[in-house]
Amino acid sequence: MQPPLKSLDYFQKSYDIRVGQLKEKRARGTKIIATFCLFVPDEIIFAAGAGRLVLCGGRTDTIARAEQSLPRNICPLIKSSFGAVVDACCGGNLSCAHVQLVDVVVAEATCDGKKKMYELLPEYLPTYVLDLPQKPGSPEAITYFLSELRKFGKYLEDLTGNAINEEQLKKEINSSNETRRLLHRLFDMRRCDPPPITGSEVLQVMQKQFFLSPDQFREGIRQLCEEMEHRIPPARSGPRIMISGCPMSAGNTKISDIVEKKGAVIVVEESCTGTRSFWDLVEEDKEPWTALAERYLRIPCACMTPNDQRISHIVDLARRYHVDGVVYYTLQFCHGYNIERIRVQKALKKEKIPLLAIESDYGDSDVEQIGIRIDAFLEMVS
Amino acid sequence: MITAGIDAGAATTKAVLMRDREIVGYRISGTAFDFLTSAEKIYDELLLASDIDRNDVEKVYATGYGRNSISFADRGISEITAHAKGVYFLFPEVRGIIDVGGQDSKIIVVADGNVTDFLMNDKCAAGTGKFLEYTAKALEVPIDDLGTLALASSHPAGITSMCTVFAESEVISLRARGIAKEDIAAGLIAGVAKRIMVMAKRMALTDHIAFVGGVAKNAGMKVAFEKELGVTLFVPFEPQITGALGAAISAHG
Repeated sequence: MQPPLKSLDYFQKSYDIRVGQLKEKRARGTKIIATFCLFVPDEIIFAAGAGRLVLCGGRTDTIARAEQSLPRNICPLIKSSFGAVVDACCGGNLSCAHVQLVDVVVAEATCDGKKKMYELLPEYLPTYVLDLPQKPGSPEAITYFLSELRKFGKYLEDLTGNAINEEQLKKEINSSNETRRLLHRLFDMRRCDPPPITGSEVLQVMQKQFFLSPDQFREGIRQLCEEMEHRIPPARSGPRIMISGCPMSAGNTKISDIVEKKGAVIVVEESCTGTRSFWDLVEEDKEPWTALAERYLRIPCACMTPNDQRISHIVDLARRYHVDGVVYYTLQFCHGYNIERIRVQKALKKEKIPLLAIESDYGDSDVEQIGIRIDAFLEMVS
Repeated sequence: MITAGIDAGAATTKAVLMRDREIVGYRISGTAFDFLTSAEKIYDELLLASDIDRNDVEKVYATGYGRNSISFADRGISEITAHAKGVYFLFPEVRGIIDVGGQDSKIIVVADGNVTDFLMNDKCAAGTGKFLEYTAKALEVPIDDLGTLALASSHPAGITSMCTVFAESEVISLRARGIAKEDIAAGLIAGVAKRIMVMAKRMALTDHIAFVGGVAKNAGMKVAFEKELGVTLFVPFEPQITGALGAAISAHG
């Protein structure tokens, strides 16, 4: 085993720096927007002179707090996120400092569980909901989403007192695209066999993507890519696995950890904490609002129907990264991703790529049982 | 070459000894609190009964839930791979395996002894040997007699709950209503069979199917599956040892 990548320390250390930075920004009057999802465009937030911080929860300790009001049988991500907000706003000490650092929440109309949870949030934090057309690909959907984005822009202008001008928006688009290009560079190196970085290492980085400032994040990725280019690939001969499915929010690394502890190497994650967050770029030569509407509606979330773009993307990724098998990860009670697994499995079967479906929550009670399934799956694909 | 396979299962520990790919002997015993102690004990008994010295065994492979605790094993393999190898040794024509054990049930799709797909039950006792064990207790029938009793039923009772705890209380209320013991037994077996058949059909098993694991000793269960699938199942002479057998075969290389 070779020493860990030094650049990963950068991401570990950046936490305190970022918290200090956000406190300072707020003291100077900058509004900080909390988001839970990839569908809320950073570009518009930054063009309005606001800051952004993700609040999507992967921790297990805030779930019990959420279950004091939310039903138990909904996904752990929703419960964890809600629990963190409630706890922080009611003087609890469970959650990290994030909630206290934000002025407003900008939520999005994705799955049913989240939508209904967001209806409870205004009791704790001012909440704005961005609507999404859920049948993507039609001109009407783009037109509608464009109007939603403009409305959102207006809301931010009122909140911050800053006007969003087209030039600034284009600058922010270029800057976000730069982040996306860097992530493509990082992910491209994972196509090597064996890859110079493990999935668990990449996950540590991806979980910080929307927590750090874009400058901070890009600097970290740059350092990491440079270090990787000079790193002799670790001698890992295990099967090449793709993770596909639900996000793994900060605090939740269970499945990636099990898969790699069992001897496989994760070469790509088709998830919100993987390719979904950066794969498509925003067209830079287009009218910026339209370009944003088009790019963001291409995010292949399972709340979209029919989600053909996701199915073909998964097959493409499997080929591109030469995967031996796909571990399809569903958060417990996430019906969208769970049901969509059937179409994904069919498409992969045609390509003769095996799939293992794992459904799990944030607790540790099923680690052994998942381990048995992973062991058998890796033996099967080896 | 002499090899051994140990299947450290959740409910029972199994050991198989092989010489040049022929079964020399096997042992089955309940798993005690400690996986390793249980395995050591039956392995020693088996060696003694087979008149083989421990040092003459070239390789020991372990499988089953407790395989990582078997420190004297050279390697561990998953029970899914092990069953596939074991069943292939006994019935090379088999394409699908239904394994119902003490803690879980699985459907394994195989081609020439290699696993091509598999499905395991959810993380609860429904559709496993545990379900039958608990509910047999509520029926006050020894678990070994449950299947035979069920075969005598002409009007199986409907057991709607698949949760072990709820099914237990359902059995008690059926008893209170005066439903015959054999009809309740048949209802329980039909319930488990139905649950496992959903998994089997999801994996598209059609024919050449083996039934293994402790529950395969239950005659009623075999009949219930065969009725659903419309084919005769392959059941090994000792359905509990296919995992340990597969481990011993893999150890042979």
